[in-house]
Amino acid sequence: MVRRAAIGAVAGTLAAGGLALEVISRPDTLRNRVLAAGAPSPSGAPSSRAKVAQQPSLAADGEDRDSSFVAGQAKPPAKNAAKPQQFSGFAAAAKAGVTEPSLLVAKGGPLTDAQARQHLLNRVTFGPRPSDVKNLEKLGIDRWLAAQLSPTAKDPAGDQAWRSRPLAGADPATIRRSIENYSWEAMFDTGMATLGRQVFGSRQLFEVVVDVFANHLMVSTPSDRGWDVAPQYAVSVIRKHAFGRYNAMLKAAMRHPAMLRYLDNDQSNRESVNENLGRELLELHTVGVSSGYTEKDVRNSAYVLSGRGATDEGKFEYLADRHRTGRVKVLGWSASNASGKGGLATGDRYLDYLAIHPATARTIARKLVVRFVDDSPPADLVNRLAQVYLRNNTAILPMLITLFRSSEFWNSFGSKTKRPLEDVVSSARALDLPIGPTTGKGLEAVYWQLNNLGHAPLAWPSPNGYPDVAPAWSSAGQMLDRWSMHRALAHGWWEGMKREKLPADLRPRKGDTYRAWFDRLGVRLIGQRPNARQRAALSTFVGAKSTARVDQGRMEWQAGHVVALVLDSPQFLAR
Amino acid sequence: MSRPDQFASLHPDCPDWQKLGPTAEDAALRAQAAAVTADADDREDQWSHGFTRRRLLAGGLGVGVAAMASQLVTTRISWAAPNASPTGTLIVVFLRGGMDGLSVLVPADDPNLLKARPGIAVRAGSLINLQRGFGLHPSLAALQPLISAGRFAAVPAVSTPDLTRSHFQAQDCLERGGAAGSTVQSGWLDRVLQQLGPGTTFRALGIGARMSRSLLGSSNPIVLTSLKDFGVKGIDGVAPQTLAALTTLYTGIDHPLGVQGLDALRASAKAQAYGKQEQKPAKERGYPDGDFGNSLATLAQLIKAKAGVRVATIDVGGWDMHTDIGTVEGGDMTNSLKSVGAALAAFAAELGPDLDKTTVVTMSEFGRRVEQNANSGADHGHGGVTMILGGGVKGGVHGRWEGLAPSVLDQGDVPGTNDYRDVLSEVVMGRLGLSAAQATKVFPDWKATPLGVMS
Repeated sequence: MVRRAAIGAVAGTLAAGGLALEVISRPDTLRNRVLAAGAPSPSGAPSSRAKVAQQPSLAADGEDRDSSFVAGQAKPPAKNAAKPQQFSGFAAAAKAGVTEPSLLVAKGGPLTDAQARQHLLNRVTFGPRPSDVKNLEKLGIDRWLAAQLSPTAKDPAGDQAWRSRPLAGADPATIRRSIENYSWEAMFDTGMATLGRQVFGSRQLFEVVVDVFANHLMVSTPSDRGWDVAPQYAVSVIRKHAFGRYNAMLKAAMRHPAMLRYLDNDQSNRESVNENLGRELLELHTVGVSSGYTEKDVRNSAYVLSGRGATDEGKFEYLADRHRTGRVKVLGWSASNASGKGGLATGDRYLDYLAIHPATARTIARKLVVRFVDDSPPADLVNRLAQVYLRNNTAILPMLITLFRSSEFWNSFGSKTKRPLEDVVSSARALDLPIGPTTGKGLEAVYWQLNNLGHAPLAWPSPNGYPDVAPAWSSAGQMLDRWSMHRALAHGWWEGMKREKLPADLRPRKGDTYRAWFDRLGVRLIGQRPNARQRAALSTFVGAKSTARVDQGRMEWQAGHVVALVLDSPQFLAR
Repeated sequence: MSRPDQFASLHPDCPDWQKLGPTAEDAALRAQAAAVTADADDREDQWSHGFTRRRLLAGGLGVGVAAMASQLVTTRISWAAPNASPTGTLIVVFLRGGMDGLSVLVPADDPNLLKARPGIAVRAGSLINLQRGFGLHPSLAALQPLISAGRFAAVPAVSTPDLTRSHFQAQDCLERGGAAGSTVQSGWLDRVLQQLGPGTTFRALGIGARMSRSLLGSSNPIVLTSLKDFGVKGIDGVAPQTLAALTTLYTGIDHPLGVQGLDALRASAKAQAYGKQEQKPAKERGYPDGDFGNSLATLAQLIKAKAGVRVATIDVGGWDMHTDIGTVEGGDMTNSLKSVGAALAAFAAELGPDLDKTTVVTMSEFGRRVEQNANSGADHGHGGVTMILGGGVKGGVHGRWEGLAPSVLDQGDVPGTNDYRDVLSEVVMGRLGLSAAQATKVFPDWKATPLGVMS
């Protein structure tokens, strides 16, 4: 089969992990089930209030918060795109790609090889470093992506960055030994170390997927009751399973003190069940509100989870006598739930049921498509990924493989916009800032800047995670802060996140015209030459025609400003 | 200030456009606005469809505004700041998480309250007395001057038309200003702005790190956290050429970033000027620590500088009190209300006479269950409480209230006997001068019945 050549390395690893890969879509009952699961409720005649009270989906207009933000902006069908299609390999899919006019391309047409590489780097990484560009050129799309998809790849630079924050990902016992009670230090360390892997790590696709799932199964870090448990959650729940199975990740989350405390499940007892986690499990973590569950389902969901809590030392505990027994039924699942002792196992069976529900498949598929393809996720691709998820027993990698072989992915050049985190991290990577003994300090500085921008890693304050669509981030204030960040990074304002001097390949060469230098900067920082408008802007700054020779003396101290202006370009903010 | 209906009937290609404004440039911009309005009628999507008529016009006007005009994706043009905004400012404070209305506006005389909430009901003796048997949580004592002046109103049992207990659904419904099955997609405040017509750069303001769903649409709100930081940093010595270069980078781009970038540049230039008028930090001006106080302090600066702010949004999180609502001695509710009350009081005091033209309304996605849970908290419920304060407000407790008897409750919740659209319609009519017909455009398919919250 063609597939073999394309993803040799990945398929090998997947097979070793026992994951059967099935990508070719068949018109079978599975497809129908997925489609049915995603059908939003008919929004014709208004439902009665009492009915809505019992079944929230009757009031649902969209699938989630992010879909509401983009609901008014559905784009017209792309002119150049053919029918949705799967290809046998990544490169083959790239070859068939077409572009629509966007910030990155003035006129639509076939996706060139250079654009395909630029696109892949923009989506799969937090922004390419020069070494990423070189590696992709050397290995080609198939081998490079296969390496990114490897669940066992080593990442020494990422590990080093992570370790620069001493309590990143620490277990509760270590944290309790190391810092004062209720100090947020370990949680901040974890957020900063996460940033460290994003900036310095080589397993970029893994980091992006970690970011998707950390937001999906959100435990706000920092948050009050997470001080000793949230750091470990980031590692043992999200990172551990990000290239594994969602089923396992979900079950780990629902046994982790961080989640149980965050959504008050540790407060539940048999007489009075706190329904916070039971509800969000359905609405946010699995089937979603449009799946049609009822308020009764919500209460039953909370009953099933009751008894799961945490000890004062931050360990998971299941207290049988706090478990609410008695018959439970949620959607199509039910259990006699007769004993407190059996309640934990009953809960795991419930989570298994939810994880493989077609509506959950769509929820997970949507999140990935919104991240990697478009703010308005193409429905056909969501359905295809959902089927792959169900066929592969909730494994995440096969969905990614399908995504990167889809026409929709390769037809979306330049359609996403960087959010603050992606802007800042991609700037640091484009500037190729080096790791070193003071990296921990640099991460701290940039973390607080991101906090001001409203986008510090892991820190969104509610259980639905950061929005992943551009309109939610539309802000003039943020534009100014982003431009300021570009200057701070280009000029090296922060110890541990700087270079003593701009890299040689960003400085003008002897005898350069401004145009030659600007062109090199565009290719190096954005992946393409500046257009006429960008060149005009840069010429305005340097106060000379672009055909003039670079004033080397003045650019000795102003080159950083020119570099920052390239990063300020709307083209750099597209991905 | 110019109203949109003055030129709504103008055909964009009509040569009479020069009569639209006092100067050729002003007139050209207004003609441009009319063209965009016409364009918008048949344009479904601001991203991808061509802006052909506008481009055509920009070329034809030839009075040096083509570059600027080509940036407009809305009719919301930045005129010169008016010396005063005749109908003032509406501030919408969204209390995220579902504020427990029964702890804030307490039906103290209702025996069912104590029965359902033995651990957390605020006792009658400690309340600030209001009318109709209601009392206000004592942690809002800072609002006493406003209450005494008849500038504080509250409505119990306010809700969305649907009984959803999902944060996302209820917030989405409130912020879009729709109901189940409604097709409106813009935010309700965006539609208010459309009815208000053109205004200044700061006419729509979101204070915070991100966009409010209620402002989403074509009005290009300015979203910022503070005036002091509202500018590009690190350009000392090269500021003019940097700002000129940024302007070029973001001009003529058929993408939301183009508008956002130019708005940022325009607004920051003005903000610098406004920011200079008040140098003292929020704390020294009497605001409590925290984001809410800082946000109101920023807003007060802009209002006092007459920046032309018409609507502003602020979010305050932390109201999802499944646990530890607490008592008047301590707990989450007491802490949250103290900071909200102190910040609002400082804001009112700082505005002074400008408060006459400023109205603050609070919203929250739902109230909480009548019966407390076992964790001294309450789970998601339905009818909640809206507070309205400032100028133009008719003090007191308004709206229908049927008590907490079991027969009254709706699925165990306070029923939504007062529709939020009635409250907000009255507020936008009273504060911003919209007509009843305009209010219907803000809340489609809804004919508002005033509850008497505005005088």
